[in-house]
Amino acid sequence: MHICYSSSKMAKHACQLNFLSRSDGSALYSIGNTVALASVNGPGEVKKSNRHYNRSHLEVCYSPSTGQSMIGERTLESVILHTVEQVILVHLHPRTATNVTIQEMQSDGLALSTSVNATCLALLDAGVQMKSPFAAVTCCLTPSGTIIIEPTEAELKESEALATFVFDGQALNVLSAHQEGCLDSENFYACLRKCQTAAKDVLNFYRRIMEEKYSSDKSYN
Amino acid sequence: RAAKMGTNIGGVEVLRVVLPGDEVLQLNADKADISIGPGLRWQENVICATRSGLLKKTSKNLYYVDTHQKRYIPNAKEFVIGIVIKKTGNNYIIDIGASDKATISELVFENSSKKARKELKPGDLIFGQILVANKNIEPELVCIDVFNNLVGIGSLPDGGIMFTLPLHIARLIVNPKNSLLLMIAQKIKFMLLVGFNGRVWVKAQKQKEMVTIMNCLMMLEVMTLEEAKENIYRLHTSNSKNF
Repeated sequence: MHICYSSSKMAKHACQLNFLSRSDGSALYSIGNTVALASVNGPGEVKKSNRHYNRSHLEVCYSPSTGQSMIGERTLESVILHTVEQVILVHLHPRTATNVTIQEMQSDGLALSTSVNATCLALLDAGVQMKSPFAAVTCCLTPSGTIIIEPTEAELKESEALATFVFDGQALNVLSAHQEGCLDSENFYACLRKCQTAAKDVLNFYRRIMEEKYSSDKSYN
Repeated sequence: RAAKMGTNIGGVEVLRVVLPGDEVLQLNADKADISIGPGLRWQENVICATRSGLLKKTSKNLYYVDTHQKRYIPNAKEFVIGIVIKKTGNNYIIDIGASDKATISELVFENSSKKARKELKPGDLIFGQILVANKNIEPELVCIDVFNNLVGIGSLPDGGIMFTLPLHIARLIVNPKNSLLLMIAQKIKFMLLVGFNGRVWVKAQKQKEMVTIMNCLMMLEVMTLEEAKENIYRLHTSNSKNF
C-alpha cells in the first residue's frame, strides 16, 4: 500500500498496484473515502466488428458499487474514454483492443476523479504505451464562494457547482473537463487554476508509486 | 545485489525510474551514435519514454525502458512456446499469447519434407522462434534455424506442465546459471523451457516435483530472489509429505 498526504488541503490518496493477478495491469486507488479498482487488459484480441486497420480499439466499462449500470455510468465511461484516447499511443498496435474495466468499490462523491486516476495507474502498471500520465482533480464551489479541492459527499451536497479537470503529465494541459452546476467564467478559471496546482501533487504521487514498484528490481546472477 | 540508480551490473547501467513522457535525452548532431530500444520514442530532437519502468543503458549506448509487464508483444528472433490451435492448408495456427495468432508452416520442422510432413494435433506445444513480427502483420514461427538444424526447438514431448509468468520473471530464469534454478536442481532433476512470451514448460519424473518447481518459480512474482531461495526448501518438503 502506498499512502500519501498530498497536501494539507487535499484528501488522502492511496494506491495498490497489481491488485488483480489475472489482469495485465490493475490498480486499487482511493481518494479519501472514495475507492475505485481499475483493470487494464491489452493490447489483445478484438472482435472483427471493432477492428481498426491503423489503431487499437479502446473500451471502457464502469460498474457502480450498487445497482445496475445506467446512463450516469455511461457518461463516466464516455469521459474516461475520451481522456484515455488522447494519451494512449493507439497507432502502435493496429487491429488490437485495449479494455479498461473500472469497479466502484466505495463512493464518497469523487467517483470520476478516483476512476480516472485508477485508470492511469492501471495503464502504467500494464505497461501500455502512452504519451504521458494524466491526473484528475475535482473541486466544488460553495455558496460563500470558497473553492474546495476534493470535497466529501457532504460538502458536495452543500455546494453550488462542481468541476472535474483531467490534466496531462507534461505541460498540465487540460485533457478533459466535466462540470455540473452553474459556474461563471471567473470562478471557472479559478477552479481550473487551483486544480492545476493540485494535479502536480497527484503526478508526484504517481512517480513515488512507480519508484516503489521498481525499487525491488535487483539484478540476478 | 540491489540495482540502485547509477549502478553498473553486467554492462547494463540502471539510470532511473521513468514515467511516460519523461524526457530522456536531448538529441544533438554530435550524439548520433546512440540506439534506442523498447519503451522509448524519438520526437522532434527529444527522446521520450512511452512506458513506466527502469531506464537502462547498455555498454553499447543502447537505451531502453525495462517494464514489468504481463502482456506479450511479439518481436522477431525471440523464442516462444505456443499452443497449436488448428491446421489450415499447409500451415498451423499457433497461439503465442499475443493479440494475433502466429502461423507456422508444416515444412519448417526438422526432417520435414514434402513427402514426410510434420503432424501436430490441436493442443500440442511447440517451442519455436519468431521469424517475422511487426505491428502490421501476423507473426510467423519457425522450428529450424538458418542452417536447417534443430537447435533444441520443435514440438515438445508429452508429460510436462506449462504455466505463465510475467515477462520480466521469465527473462530472469532464461539464464541457466540462475541461482534459484541451481538450488532446485540440487533436489530435483528437471527439464525447463522458457519462452519470451512468459510461458514456461517444466518436465520432471514425478507430478509432485513438477508442481513444486512451478510453485517455486511463481513465487518470484511476489518475492525477491533471496526470499524465494529461502522458501524453496520448505515448499519441497511440504510437497513431499502431501503426496
